[in-house]
Amino acid sequence: MKEKTEVQQGTLALMVLKTLDVLGPLHGYGIAKRIEQISGDLLSVNQGTLYPVLLKLEQEGSIDSEWGTSDNNRRARFYRLTRSGRKQLRIETEDWEQTATIIGRFFAVKREDLV
Amino acid sequence: MRVLNRLLVRIRNFATRRRGYARLREELEQHLALQIEENIRAGMPVEVARRKARMKLGSVEVIREAYRSEEGLPLVECLLQDCRFAFRQMRKAPGFMAVAVLTLTLGIGATTAIFTFVYSTMFKSLPYPDADRIIRIYDSRLSGESTGGLVGVLRFFEVKEHSRALESAGFYYFDQATIAADSRLPESINGVGVNPGFWRVFGAQPLLGRTFTDAEDRWNSPEIIVLSYSAWQKIFAGDPAVIGKQVTLNQAAATIIGVMPQSFEVPANIDLWHASHFEPSKWTYRGEGTRFLNVVARLRPGITLPQARSDLAAIAKQLQRQYPDTDANWEFTCESLRDSYFGTLRPAMLALIAAAFLLLLIACINIANLLLSRASARESEVALRRALGASPARIAMQFLTESVLLALVGGAPGVVAAFALIDEVAARMPGRLGVPGTVEMNWPVLAFAFAVSVATGIAFGLAPALQRRTTSLNMALKRGETRLGGSAGNTLRGLLTAVQVGLSLVLVVGALMLGQSVWNLLKNPLGFQPDHLLVFSLKLPWNTKSELANNFYAEVQRRITALPGVSAAGQVDAPPAVDWHLRSNFDADWLPQIANQPAINAEDRNIAGDFLGAMGARLLAGRMFTEQDQQSKAPPILVNEALVREYLPGGNPLGHHLIVAGQQHEIVGVIANQRGIAGALEKPPGSVVYWPANATGGVVNRYFVVRSAIPPQQLFHEIRDQLYHVDPRQAAGPMETMDNLLDKAVAQPRLNMWVLVSFAAIALLLACVGIYGVVSYFATQRMQEIGVRMALGATRAQIAGLFIYRVMSWAFGGLLAGTVVSFGVMHLLRSQLYGVQPSDPRVFAASILILLIPVLVAALRPAVRAANMDPMWALRAE
Repeated sequence: MKEKTEVQQGTLALMVLKTLDVLGPLHGYGIAKRIEQISGDLLSVNQGTLYPVLLKLEQEGSIDSEWGTSDNNRRARFYRLTRSGRKQLRIETEDWEQTATIIGRFFAVKREDLV
Repeated sequence: MRVLNRLLVRIRNFATRRRGYARLREELEQHLALQIEENIRAGMPVEVARRKARMKLGSVEVIREAYRSEEGLPLVECLLQDCRFAFRQMRKAPGFMAVAVLTLTLGIGATTAIFTFVYSTMFKSLPYPDADRIIRIYDSRLSGESTGGLVGVLRFFEVKEHSRALESAGFYYFDQATIAADSRLPESINGVGVNPGFWRVFGAQPLLGRTFTDAEDRWNSPEIIVLSYSAWQKIFAGDPAVIGKQVTLNQAAATIIGVMPQSFEVPANIDLWHASHFEPSKWTYRGEGTRFLNVVARLRPGITLPQARSDLAAIAKQLQRQYPDTDANWEFTCESLRDSYFGTLRPAMLALIAAAFLLLLIACINIANLLLSRASARESEVALRRALGASPARIAMQFLTESVLLALVGGAPGVVAAFALIDEVAARMPGRLGVPGTVEMNWPVLAFAFAVSVATGIAFGLAPALQRRTTSLNMALKRGETRLGGSAGNTLRGLLTAVQVGLSLVLVVGALMLGQSVWNLLKNPLGFQPDHLLVFSLKLPWNTKSELANNFYAEVQRRITALPGVSAAGQVDAPPAVDWHLRSNFDADWLPQIANQPAINAEDRNIAGDFLGAMGARLLAGRMFTEQDQQSKAPPILVNEALVREYLPGGNPLGHHLIVAGQQHEIVGVIANQRGIAGALEKPPGSVVYWPANATGGVVNRYFVVRSAIPPQQLFHEIRDQLYHVDPRQAAGPMETMDNLLDKAVAQPRLNMWVLVSFAAIALLLACVGIYGVVSYFATQRMQEIGVRMALGATRAQIAGLFIYRVMSWAFGGLLAGTVVSFGVMHLLRSQLYGVQPSDPRVFAASILILLIPVLVAALRPAVRAANMDPMWALRAE
């Protein structure tokens, strides 16, 4: 079984924002499940590391939270994206795409191209 | 922006002590519940579902910690936690705290006190506007002795007129005066004569009234005076209506036109400034007699000191060409005002800084040693922390916090003590240092003290922090195995002990040498008997006719000599130990006479009465002046030993003549050298020529020297009484005993000596405390070993000897190194020594003895105690 890779805190924050962007307000468990789903089990996220990241994003002002009721009538804290969070998401997405493009070019290079 | 948001939220959380625990716990509970439900739906049994859910979530403690570290200000909270812990540790170890605090108080207190001096003299700005543009200008002789830097009157005016580097130029000259205010008795006060430029140079604003203008300084203008603050308080009790008041100054009318504020002390201890009324056209004479001005000047904006120097050099050259017979041998030198005040102190300051630094180093070493001992006792605690997950950085930070806190706690009393000391001592400092407001504590000094405390704390805190060994945690936790062997820390400790002893030796050697210098200064043969000698000055108005002056002084002399209990009384323009200069150039009839190159340059002193008898000075050859000599038109002179040795070695000067102003004067006697002529006790006596006071045109200002066995106070009164009968308008200048005057002359070197002695004593104390601690620690560490040795038959003496040998071998190493360093240091400080060789072996031997004995005692006590332990108890100890 291939080793599951650990994920860095910065990228975890990005995944949280994207998840909230696509799916709307969610509680902590829901976010964790969706991230697991999307990454297709290639990532191992100790689910508990999510909560400090959520706190950090909230203190930055990228997300907002409030108590609400989940589908099975449990009390849960729901998180949603704020306007500045949306902006941050857009900026980081652009950064990642640019990085991916550059790296992609390097991977595609053959010896003949450079001689 | 986001980072700022986070920071602000963190600060808010920290300040309000908000904890998100409740929220986190609830969220985690919900999370777990949902995960368990899903697991159950997926088919797992309940217990497995629960366990898997927990594992998936991760360690709750870790989550909580990560959460916490996002919340508040973790760094600050760590710091606070460490501080609280440190205080608890301090309370639990009062013995250690007492020693540490005492050590730090001494070290940091001494450093702070020294820095106060250094700051006040080297860095604090002088209390005049733009004070670094003010300079002093001196006349200095191209070859030979200068006259204390005093400038000739006409030369001053020439500089003022021709200099392109100066914005304003002023002078002051000392002028002890008699003032009679209202109907009070005449009092003798310290006055100075100044020109209007003097006020412009300092830019000083008067407290009341005004200073004088150019128009008021003409030679025939009425006399005007500006009072100093202290005189205003003393004579007029601070009466604001004093402006415009008329007083009698030196028997002439004078008007008070201003009062200066308390901060203006140029020169120090002055009662009033009066106008000089000097006009260059009225001065026809250029010679030595006009050389009495202290010149100050303000540089033009943009002009530097070197530029001013070359400007003045050009003027000096011009004067040399223009007036070859008087000015050929003179040039101008200048220095900044600050240098003129404190320049001579610089080497002493540097030495004191070095000594303070050494002391601080010794204090740090001691505490580092003590902390090292405690650190090994806390090994198990440290190991436990690391096992629980503390990073090395965190542990180091904890140690450093403890030590910085210790330094601050110990340093605070030190600063308070320094403050009290400075307060007490500042006014009694010699010279310019004693001017109120010069040496005092202020914010820069406090900031420095704080910085030094923190630096000290970090310095000795690093020792145990660095010493953490990376042995296996297991072993450290059990803490039993390392008892019998030696450990690496012992080398460090021994080295530190050696350094301490060495440094103490340097200080002790310095103290002894300075002490001996002061002793020599005071006890070397002075050439006269300073005991039972009363000295005071009388000053007549400058235009008193010579006959009147001579008669006045003769009458005073007669009355004083007639007083019962007075064995002898004499007159002289200034006795030794008084800072007064008058030099002349002579030709000699046994030396070739070249135009414009006089053969001899010597101090002049005019004497009358029984000067020799009163001073207790010896006549080496020839005779004293007679009454006839005092009336003579071409009076004979006396010379001193130094003049004979320099200009007629091995010959007999009696019957020879010295020639001055075209006149021949026969040498009729030779007087033994007197030290301290013109004030400097350290300098070897120079050539002096003695004249009969009454014959040389009537000397108006004279000192009386009176030898008597009567107690000085009583003699004061009787003399004042007699004086009143001769002339009620006269007041006698301050009466002092010669012993007092000499005392003041050695005040500076004596102060240095006391400082170094106190430093050496503190250093010795610290070294002994350190050694005591080290030996105690060794004894505790090797208790089991002692038990074993005793069981195997070692005697108590042998056990004690074991420890003493260990420590003393390090101490001897330190002594050796210290001796070498002392050699070097004393050579550097040669200028401060008087009559002592920097490599005097007796001083070194005495220092080593002084150091060894307390050190031995300090080592003996714990060693003997160790040796007297019950061997059974020692064996069982852990």
